[in-house]
Amino acid sequence: MTYSDQQLDELVQDTKVHRLVYTDQTVFELEMQRIWGKSWIFIGHESQVPQAGSYVTMDFANKPIVMVRDKHGSVHVLHNRCGHKGAKLVEKPCGKNARFTCAYHGWTYKLNGQLVGVPHQKGYECTGFDKADPEYSMQPFRTELYRGFVFATLSPDMADLTTWLGASAVTIDNLCDRAPEGEVEQAGGVLKFEHDCNWKLFIENLNDTMHPMVVHKSVVDSANTYIASLPEDSPHRIEAEIIPPFGASYEVYEDTGITGFDYGHHFDGGKTSIHADYSVDPEYKAAMVASYGEQRTDEILGYNSHNTLYYPSVTFKSAVQNIRVVRPISVDKTIIETYSFRLKGAPESMFQRTLLYSRLINCNGSMVGSDDLAVYTRVQQGLLSEASDWVEFHRNFGDDEDHGDRLTNVGTSDLDMRTQFRAWKHYMTGAPLSGSSSAGMSSPKTAQKEATS
Amino acid sequence: MIHSERMIEVTELLYKEADLLDSADLDEWLELYAEDGTYWMPVTPEQEDPLNHISLFYDDRTIMEIRRRNLKHPRAASKDLPIRSSHIIGNIRIVKGEAQNKSEDKMTVRSNFHCAVYSNNKQVLYAGTYKHDLIRVDNLWRIHHKRVDLINCDANLGAILIYL
Repeated sequence: MTYSDQQLDELVQDTKVHRLVYTDQTVFELEMQRIWGKSWIFIGHESQVPQAGSYVTMDFANKPIVMVRDKHGSVHVLHNRCGHKGAKLVEKPCGKNARFTCAYHGWTYKLNGQLVGVPHQKGYECTGFDKADPEYSMQPFRTELYRGFVFATLSPDMADLTTWLGASAVTIDNLCDRAPEGEVEQAGGVLKFEHDCNWKLFIENLNDTMHPMVVHKSVVDSANTYIASLPEDSPHRIEAEIIPPFGASYEVYEDTGITGFDYGHHFDGGKTSIHADYSVDPEYKAAMVASYGEQRTDEILGYNSHNTLYYPSVTFKSAVQNIRVVRPISVDKTIIETYSFRLKGAPESMFQRTLLYSRLINCNGSMVGSDDLAVYTRVQQGLLSEASDWVEFHRNFGDDEDHGDRLTNVGTSDLDMRTQFRAWKHYMTGAPLSGSSSAGMSSPKTAQKEATS
Repeated sequence: MIHSERMIEVTELLYKEADLLDSADLDEWLELYAEDGTYWMPVTPEQEDPLNHISLFYDDRTIMEIRRRNLKHPRAASKDLPIRSSHIIGNIRIVKGEAQNKSEDKMTVRSNFHCAVYSNNKQVLYAGTYKHDLIRVDNLWRIHHKRVDLINCDANLGAILIYL
C-alpha cells in the first residue's frame, strides 16, 4: 500500500505518533524520498578531501555517492554511478586520483564528474549518443559548505544552506570557534555502529533527557563506586568528568532547556549542559586567550549545548568536538557513524579527550551507547504489538515559548519531538514549517490564544 | 626451541584468560593484568596509535574496573539477557626478533582466535589475531598490553558487549 498526504498527516498528531512511522517499510521509503530527498544532508568535512583528486565515498539515503575536490579546489558531491551501464565507479572508501575510470568498460570522468573518455567511439557514430550530453556524466548534487562542513540536497527548491540552518548554526560556529585558529579538521578515523532500529529512534534519543538516569544508571553506578574506592590523593581522571553527569537528576536536565528551530533542528543546553563542568586544559585556555582575548574565550567556552540535531542526518557535540552521522538502511536498520575533529591550534590533549569521549559514550564497545541501543531495539520490537497504535509525547505540551526564530521549553519537555515531527509533516505532506494552527502541529500557546479570542 | 617451558607457560596463560572471559569472571580476569595493563581493539588494520585515533576499545585499569562492575549490575539493559561466549585460540607463537623476547621478564606472544558471542538472541562470530605483551611480576607472567585485531574491524559492527 501507499499513503495519501492526508493519511500521512494523520499519522502524526500534536502529542502522539503512529507506530507505523517506525515499523512500516513503505513509510520508510516515502521518508527517503520526501525527507532525505529534499532536506540538506550532511556529507562530510572538506578536510577529508585535502588535495585535488582526494575523494571519500559513502551512502546517501542508500545511494552510493562520492565527495571529491577538483583541481581548482572546489568540493563536489557526485552520484557514484557510471553514466554508461550504471556500475558504481569508485569502490574504495577514500583515496586520490586524477580522474575516475569505470572498472567495467573504462569510461573516464573528470573530478567534477564530466564524462571525458569513451573507448572505441566509432560504434557510437550516428546513433544519437553524444558524449557531451550531461546525462552521461556523473550526476552532481546541489552542494554547499558551512565553515568547512559539506551538505548536499537532491532538491532544487530547498532554501539555501544558511537559511536552512538558521539560528541553529550556533553549534557549528561554536565547534569551529573552539579552535584557537577558528577551524577544525576531521581526524582519527570513523566508528561505524550498526543499530537494529529505525533511524528516528536514534535522533529522538539525543535530547530525550528523561532517559539517562534510567538507561545509564548501571555505568554511572559502576563509575561512581570505582571512583569512591580510590584513595583521595589519586590522580584526576577525565573519565570521572565524562561518565557521572549522565546520571544527573531530572532537575538538572530540566534546567538545561531545549531549543527547537524550523526544519526540525534542536539542541538541549546552551548556557549549561552535562559537558559544562569539564576541566579546561591550561595550555588550551592560554592558546584560546591568545587568539580571542579573555572575554570572547569565556563566551566560546561558556556555550554548552549537549547534542545539536541538524534534522535528519547529523548531530553535533561542539563541547567535545565530535559528530554522529545517521545512515538509514531500512525501516529497522541504521548505521550511526562517529567522526572526531581536531581543533586547529589546540594542544593534542584536546583531541585525545575527544577520542576518549567517543570511546566511552558513542563507540560499539561503549557501556553507554550499547545500553541506548538496547532500549531502541526494544522500542522497535514493542511497536510491532498492536496493543496500541500510538507513541505519546505530551511532556510540557502547551507551554513552548515562541521567540520568533525558535521555540524553547524546559530540558525535560518533549519540545524536541514536537520540533522534529513538525519538520516530518512539512517534508512528508507539505505542511507549513513554523508552528501555526494550519500545520496540525500547532504551538499550543497559539492555539489557546485563538480559542479565547 | 618453540616447545620450551616458556611456550607452555604462555599457552596456559592464554587459555586461562580465554576461560575466564568465557566464564564472565572479570574479577579474576583483571588479576591477570599488570596494574598499568591495557586492552586495545583498533578500528583499522595496522592501526599504530591508540591515543590519536579512535578505537573500538582502549581500556586501562580505570575502564576495566568500571566494566567489571557494569557486567554485574542488575540494571544494564544491554546485558539483561545472558551473554555467552566461546573462544578458540591457536597458532600461538612467541615472536622471534621482538626485542622483549630477549629479556627474562618480558615477552610478546601472537596468536589467532575465533570467538563466538551469543547475546540478545543473536550469535556473532568474531575472528582475528591477538598480541599479548607479557611482563613478569612477582615471578608470574601478567598481561601488560593486549591487542585484539578483528579481521573486520573497519566494517559496520554492532555493540561489542564483552572483552574478546
